[in-house]
Amino acid sequence: MSDKKELKALQAALAAEHAAVYGYGVVGGRIHEGRRTEARSAYDAHRARRDALVREVRDLGGKPVAASAAYALPFPVPDSAAAVRLAAELEDRVAGVYSDLVRATGGERRRAAAEALREAAVRAVRWNGESVAFPGLAERAATASASQAPTA
Amino acid sequence: MPYPPPPRTPSGPRRRSLLASAAGAALLMGCSGGSGESEESTGGSMSVTHKARARAARDSAGLLGRYDAVITAHPAVAERLGPLRAEVVRHTEAFGGTVTKGSTGTASPSAPEASPSASVPATEKDALAELAAAERALADRRTTALLDVPGELARVLASVAAAGAAHAYLLTEGAK
Repeated sequence: MSDKKELKALQAALAAEHAAVYGYGVVGGRIHEGRRTEARSAYDAHRARRDALVREVRDLGGKPVAASAAYALPFPVPDSAAAVRLAAELEDRVAGVYSDLVRATGGERRRAAAEALREAAVRAVRWNGESVAFPGLAERAATASASQAPTA
Repeated sequence: MPYPPPPRTPSGPRRRSLLASAAGAALLMGCSGGSGESEESTGGSMSVTHKARARAARDSAGLLGRYDAVITAHPAVAERLGPLRAEVVRHTEAFGGTVTKGSTGTASPSAPEASPSASVPATEKDALAELAAAERALADRRTTALLDVPGELARVLASVAAAGAAHAYLLTEGAK
């Protein structure tokens, strides 16, 4: 695996984690109280992954991609139900970049990416209550019967 | 800046289309040069890939056997387990295993683990807990196994391990 590919995949993961951190900020503001703690711990988890990825990118001699000031949400989030859908969608997207990172890396980085993918998949089912057969594999998502992810 | 496109949007057309063509009933690792990594085209690596896929198919088929054993012993949970079982079937097939409709899957003529008569706990709750533990243990094994295989197979193993962990969650905490 080339360093260049690895760096590119790390940057993509970092960009997705920036977006997830932003997105969970929105989720936290809309979600009902009963699930706020869960949203908060997901937010913290994504911040931790983001910070770890910043270090990884630097270790490989790259300049970590920065977060945007704001992101266009994939759909309006006026209430708690939409916030839950957004949270599931965020996990789905993050899973996709981590599966690519698994392929592009080896050793400890690959293991960390696989664990991040696993955590994202578990959080996704916590949010939407349904599993998908191949979390993070976009090319197999089309035939996934249980997929509830909105088509953005 | 726009929100990053969802992964299922073909943001990387080159790779996506390459994979789409390789994704049939079975993804033939390393044969199509799916990830274009040179080390995957060596004979030794092919054999590692072949063995790892066979193992993964066998493991999923064995898990399928456990689902079937639980469903046989506790028919009331059949509806709840149905979607999860269907995903395990897809996992088995993705690794090249075959599943005969309505019966336990076999990854090879000598699939050893599928024995529906294997003891299933007497209560539904215990049976589901045991199934969850099996899913979790397999997900753990796969998370380790994926360190020793070429990139694309590692990617699929990571995804299937993630699905297994999600199943374990649904079988336990997600219990209604």
